[in-house]
Amino acid sequence: MENNSMIHVENLQKHFKKAIKEPGLKGSIKALFNPKYDVVKAVDGISFDVEAGEIIGFIGPNGAGKSTVIKMLTGILTPSEGFCRINGHIPTENRKAYVKEIGVVFGQRTQLWWDLALRETYMVLKEIYDVSDEDYEKRMAFLNEVLDLEDFITSPVRTLSLGQRMRADIAAALLHNPKVLFLDEPTVGLDVVAKDNIRKAIQLINKESGTTVILTTHDLEDIELLCKRIVMVDKGKKVFDGELSTLRQQYGQMRELTFELNKEADMEKLTYDQKFNFAEDDLKLETKGNEVKVRFNTDIASVEEMLSFTLSKVHVKDISVKDADIEEIIRRLYKGGGEAV
Amino acid sequence: MRKYFKLHRIFIAQDLKKLMEYKVDFLMGAIGFVLVQAVKILTLGIIFASIPALAYKVNGQVVDSWTFNEVLFIYGFSLIPKGIDHLLFDNLWGMGYWVVAKGDFDKYLTRPVNSWFYVLTEKFCVDAFGDLFVGIVLVVYSVLSMPADIAANINWFRLIPVAFVIPFAVMIYTSVKTATAAISFWTKRSGHITHMCYMTNEFASYPAKIYNNVVKTIITYILPFALTAYYPAIYLLRGESVWSLPVTIGVSAVLFFISQLVWKLGEKAYESAGS
Amino acid sequence: MSKLRKYTPFTRAGIMESVTYRANFLFFLLGEIMKCFVMFFVWKAVFDSSSGETLFGFSYDNMVVYLFISFLSGYITYSDGSYAIGKEILDGSVVMRMIKPIDFDMCFLFQELGNKIISFSLIFLPITAGVEIYRFVINGRLMLDIPMLLLFLVSMVLAYGINFYFNLSYGFLAFFLKNLWGTDIIKGAVVDFLSGATIPLAFMGGFGYVLQFLPFASLSYTPVMIYMGMYGAKKIIFYLGLQVFWLVIFALISKLVLKLAMKRLVVHGG
Repeated sequence: MENNSMIHVENLQKHFKKAIKEPGLKGSIKALFNPKYDVVKAVDGISFDVEAGEIIGFIGPNGAGKSTVIKMLTGILTPSEGFCRINGHIPTENRKAYVKEIGVVFGQRTQLWWDLALRETYMVLKEIYDVSDEDYEKRMAFLNEVLDLEDFITSPVRTLSLGQRMRADIAAALLHNPKVLFLDEPTVGLDVVAKDNIRKAIQLINKESGTTVILTTHDLEDIELLCKRIVMVDKGKKVFDGELSTLRQQYGQMRELTFELNKEADMEKLTYDQKFNFAEDDLKLETKGNEVKVRFNTDIASVEEMLSFTLSKVHVKDISVKDADIEEIIRRLYKGGGEAV
Repeated sequence: MRKYFKLHRIFIAQDLKKLMEYKVDFLMGAIGFVLVQAVKILTLGIIFASIPALAYKVNGQVVDSWTFNEVLFIYGFSLIPKGIDHLLFDNLWGMGYWVVAKGDFDKYLTRPVNSWFYVLTEKFCVDAFGDLFVGIVLVVYSVLSMPADIAANINWFRLIPVAFVIPFAVMIYTSVKTATAAISFWTKRSGHITHMCYMTNEFASYPAKIYNNVVKTIITYILPFALTAYYPAIYLLRGESVWSLPVTIGVSAVLFFISQLVWKLGEKAYESAGS
Repeated sequence: MSKLRKYTPFTRAGIMESVTYRANFLFFLLGEIMKCFVMFFVWKAVFDSSSGETLFGFSYDNMVVYLFISFLSGYITYSDGSYAIGKEILDGSVVMRMIKPIDFDMCFLFQELGNKIISFSLIFLPITAGVEIYRFVINGRLMLDIPMLLLFLVSMVLAYGINFYFNLSYGFLAFFLKNLWGTDIIKGAVVDFLSGATIPLAFMGGFGYVLQFLPFASLSYTPVMIYMGMYGAKKIIFYLGLQVFWLVIFALISKLVLKLAMKRLVVHGG
């Protein structure tokens, strides 16, 4: 079937052979003489489409296969099965022509040269991507405006702060005005201000240049501020594909109540499950000394009901209510999907 | 191609700048390399002090022999292609030792340039000046101090074909490193295999005739380091082994082709690191 | 003894590390032993070129034995504490070792002993067997002398000790030198030559004679000469004693340099 989307992914799979090693001295000696392997399906049949100009969030727990998908989309890994097509290119077929049209940023490690001054880094990239002098000037002016590179453009990369380095990395990925930008955890390890800067920049770039953005992250805020649509994977399979608000409605009804009891023994008075009839998955209690954490499903009991019940039963200090984090949503989503564990 | 030269220039300038920054480190490294060579030459000197010339005998009959100056010349010459490879293409070592294992090869694949060229251009190894310096000094010194009857065999017009062959000799070094570094795409680490094959070049610094047939075949055709040193050097000195010049070109071309093939296949098998 | 027990985990770790990288080690070794084979042929040509059967008391067969046994002992007694320690000093991770209630040098010693157990078990037998078969074929009878072999092992242990403390002292110098691999290469070249690892000291005339008493000879020349049976009983006792002497000296020097280095570290810290 013909389709014209910017990114088309069909039944994408990647299998790795993994050595099985038993722990300890004995294990490593055993593995030496008789190595055993397991085939791990890191990505197990994922399909989706992305339209030009979209920003999509690509999320999932650690080891879900996100990075492996990104690495296949960017031409680093060759798929074991299935295929992906980006702007008419199959990544591994004509790698050099293809990567000219994409920009890639890996948050965990820089792709810049440690010892080069940033300006020289961009000169190298200009050569690598055959950017004309005129385009280079224009592009640098734009990136400078968006990412504020001026302050550190003459410094060697190794001297940059993490936030500066990330801005530098993003600019490096955009110098050749790619059609698609892949961002693998662009905010990891950054402080609040730096995160905010990066997010604004991504938004602006998407708007001004119409760049399609694929973003992986663990930070729910990244997703909320940037992405309308998310694709979620777990154990190598796609478990959700749609708008963030839909996800919230379907699975994000969990809230978290945190407070401190005056007396540890008071815990027994908090008989939530009797009062509201929670099913097993809808309520989770964690206590550590006087500290109590209650996760609950707002479909069963509203925040107001829970609060007033708690306050009527016990004396507490410092009570707070939080949204369930992304990991929690993923966890529930996975169970809700009915997949076997 | 011009693109790669331009890139290489930027990194060369950068590494030279770094050299100025870390003068002491560079100096220590260079002295170290010179000293390593000095010890080897001193050893040769001690050996030769007790014999008139290095002889190759078959059934008790002297078939060929080399004076100390000639051995020094061959030894010095061997450092030149080796040094050029070391100077320009040293980055290949990192591939097998850590780049692939740590998943750092990713960055080479996200750029619209040939990944092999890209790896090559990234580093300019100034330490190699030590090797090149010693090599050139030895070649010049051995010629200048040569007895007249031996010097009379040298025809300087032979420098033209030899100079033509040197890039192919360098290619032998680079191809051996490339092919063995590419093994890491499958095994994650292969630096020690590179080391093993690279060390075969130790055989190249002495007259190839003194080795038995197995060694001779290996260093002429399989890991053909003799083509980078003994053969061109003895051709320059005496006009012997003319056949080795076209063989060098042919063998290095084949080796280059094989190394590129292994690299290309390896790239497809590359598994990156992490999830 | 119980005081040493707490270091056995380091030995265990050393063993595991060596087992894991066994294949790498063997490839590396094959590369290094290539030099012996080069010299094997070069010496053959040298002896062919000489009018006499022997050079400085060495026959060609002696020379071959010398080549491979000095390679073997060099490999087993080699200690790279200097590089490991120097690196930790330069990147500051040495502090992590200092805040633990254990002796700094002992950690390295015991970890390296773990490595050595594996490398010894991997290469000792093949190389000595190779050398003995070679001697057997040449001489028509078994040349292996068990008491000499045992004394050789003793001498190697001493050589390793000297090497260890020598390198340790040298590694501590990283506090002052701030440069590692350059000076390491220089050190390697000088030690190789002065210890007789590249050519027997007997070839060096009067200079070589003096060198026999310096610590470098204790690193490599002494054990090899014992293995080859070049020393009589008196000489063996003398040179083993000399090895013990140098071992003590370098152990003391390393303690001294460590003390100086610690003072320096305190000044640097903050």
